Amino acid sequence: MITDSIYLSELLNRPILDRKGDAIGKIRDLNVVPGDPFPFVEGLYIRTSGKTAYVPMKEINVLNKRIVTIHGDIGSIAYTEPREKEILIGKHIMDKQIVDVNGVKVVRVNDVQLGQVNDHFGMLAIDVGFGGLIRRLGFGKARKGTLIPWRYVTTLEPGLDRLTLTMTRKSLAEMHPVDMAEILTQVSMQERTALLSSLDEETAGDVIGELDDETAAKIINEMEPEKAADVLEQMDPDEAADVLGDLPEKKAVELLNRMDREEAEEVRELLEHDEDTAGGLMTTDYISFPPDMTAEEVMKELRLVAPDIEMIYYLYVLDREERLLGVLSLKDLILASPKVPLGSLMVTNPKTVHATEDKKEVAEMVSRYNLYAIPVVDEENHILGIITVDDVVDMLLPTPLRRKR
Amino acid sequence: MLERMRNMDRKSLLFFLSMIGPGFITANVDNDAAGITTYSVAGSHYGYALLWSFIPMLLLLIIVQEMVARLGVVTGKGLSDLIREEYGVRTTVFVMFALLITNLGTCAAEFAGLAASLEIFGISRYFSVPLACGLIWFLVVKGSYKTVERVFLGACIIYFSYILSGFMAKPDWGEVARHTVNPTFQLDAAYVGLLIGMVGTTISPWMQFYQQAAIVEKNIPVENYRFVRWDVILGCVMASVVAFFIVMACGATLHVNGVTIHTAEDAAMALTPLAGHFAKVLFAVGLVNASLFAATILPLSTTYTICEGMGWESGVNKEFQEAPQFMGLYTGLIIVSGGLILIPGAPLIKIMLVSQVINGVLLPFVLIFILLLINKKDLMGDLVNGRTNNWISWTSVAVLIALSIALVYLAAHQFFS
Repeated sequence: MITDSIYLSELLNRPILDRKGDAIGKIRDLNVVPGDPFPFVEGLYIRTSGKTAYVPMKEINVLNKRIVTIHGDIGSIAYTEPREKEILIGKHIMDKQIVDVNGVKVVRVNDVQLGQVNDHFGMLAIDVGFGGLIRRLGFGKARKGTLIPWRYVTTLEPGLDRLTLTMTRKSLAEMHPVDMAEILTQVSMQERTALLSSLDEETAGDVIGELDDETAAKIINEMEPEKAADVLEQMDPDEAADVLGDLPEKKAVELLNRMDREEAEEVRELLEHDEDTAGGLMTTDYISFPPDMTAEEVMKELRLVAPDIEMIYYLYVLDREERLLGVLSLKDLILASPKVPLGSLMVTNPKTVHATEDKKEVAEMVSRYNLYAIPVVDEENHILGIITVDDVVDMLLPTPLRRKR
Repeated sequence: MLERMRNMDRKSLLFFLSMIGPGFITANVDNDAAGITTYSVAGSHYGYALLWSFIPMLLLLIIVQEMVARLGVVTGKGLSDLIREEYGVRTTVFVMFALLITNLGTCAAEFAGLAASLEIFGISRYFSVPLACGLIWFLVVKGSYKTVERVFLGACIIYFSYILSGFMAKPDWGEVARHTVNPTFQLDAAYVGLLIGMVGTTISPWMQFYQQAAIVEKNIPVENYRFVRWDVILGCVMASVVAFFIVMACGATLHVNGVTIHTAEDAAMALTPLAGHFAKVLFAVGLVNASLFAATILPLSTTYTICEGMGWESGVNKEFQEAPQFMGLYTGLIIVSGGLILIPGAPLIKIMLVSQVINGVLLPFVLIFILLLINKKDLMGDLVNGRTNNWISWTSVAVLIALSIALVYLAAHQFFS
């Protein structure tokens, strides 16, 4: 008979009895293996007369809040130390930090709820509440915990990640990059690397783009160069440039050389500019068309190029030499009749800024003219890139995504 | 090559500078109100006779702080996190509770130092302390702590005022040198008490917690650990030099003229006729800065340490409802420690003695945890202590433990008499 629910703290250091009722040792830890919908307990490590022994779950007769017994007697148990790769709840999970995927935060495991569901005894939930602390301290046994079911948590320590359920992994990857970045700032470098490597390059790029440049540069610096280059390719060019700008030169050049040539070229161009100017704030991801294309043709073309571009609300109209002629909004385009060329739809003399303009000046322009983006041009009105409103907002109200102390 | 990379030479310097800080700041905060008081009293009572203690003290300080720095860089975790993860809830609760009480006492001492030093300039404590409390709370919760930290890093230069005061006191350099390298020992209770007190204020538990957390926050890769080590050593040396000069200045002026003092403010006042008005102002400004610096850093670092160990939500940018323990503890620490100073006739000396006793009780535990943690191969890998290093560390820790037991005995004795 195994109980439906028991806390780990109620099991550790409890005596374990043989079938005659004699104590054979004390429970030291439980080992678990990956399982679905929760990790299964495989057996108990016990301490008996100065030695460590292992009792598999199938040997357990009764396990509840009052008593733990085995089917056989002391002769039937094997003396053995935990093996290297084994995961022990007490050693590896208890008191450690863990990510609550649902609540989007890092929590500390105060206790672990174990229990029997459908013939499987395993880790049902972790307790992160005050009740768990009190229970651990030994005041009041029946304290109710603040439980987070195992399907909503993922471990941080390298080596334990196989305990995380596939479905949890999925929701981790679907977490908003900003939330994920917030979690990354709360864990150690090693745990950060482990978490990021569980994400695909695109998600990892989005997450790193949300961190402050200094932290992002450190993470990129720690990654395998090949992986780092892949992640940088996935990031918006302006964010990638910001990160590379914070790395030592040798490392930055090495990563640029490993990146896809086209992507690297864009980033190189952005790196030409001082980060406090319009040039340092801009991205080279924008949409442009020649003036003689019709609204209909543009719509068709737009569907092809838009997926890779962050800002598609403004379409820039350029001549052959890439000089900026005018701009029209997505709304203008949709409302236009299909056969009209862009040249007669666009607004001429759009507001622009020069690459060397101070970033405060840019913010003022964006705010004064209520723009979602503003093009950056050189002396001859060639377009160099655009500055989107989100980067302006980030500049004015930096999100405090770093540990403050 | 590229504009932003052309700045790289400047950048690698910044890269190095970005890693200095934690060790340097920690060691300098260490010369806080309580420290300056102890050093002034030591100098005025015994002249140069205690100067020799600075060399062994500096070595002990470096040994302890270096281990803590290494723990931080390699594990990427704070000391309270590590204690919780390796030694469980009970140990953590005990250590955190003791740390809370001792840091509360230390915070109160900082506010007392601030109040007293501003009173030298004729500013009432009923004005200065509430203002300082409000300012500190506001700066950290509403402002940017990074900016505050930079301001304080710059303010470390103010500590040179003590070195200046030392020169203005015109000591007999030959005598100073002789006493520095030539240990002398006096077998009277007050001498031993002061000696232990000096070690106690120089090496205290909050420093280990604060320094490790500050290093973790910098995310320093293990390859760059050597920079961190230099930061720690440099900080310890500077802090010891400043403390040395305080003892020397007071020895050269007060002791020579037979003036004995009991507080750092006495020292500032007594310096005027002996070393001039400017020396007094320098001394007092140094004390204001030291108290304010420590009073800003201690409550916040204590709160972070405790919340991380206990697993409570923390962060200054959180709402009260989101992180009630964090905001409650932080606000409470400032109000209680500042408030204690304003109670008319508050037993300040007794409060400080109690906090010193708990400090002394806590230190051995913290040191032993540090040594155990740094020898764990699964945490530290190849950077565990070597055999020689371990031998030196255990001996140093044994000496410190013996001293803190003596400190507890003396403080308790004083408390009941």
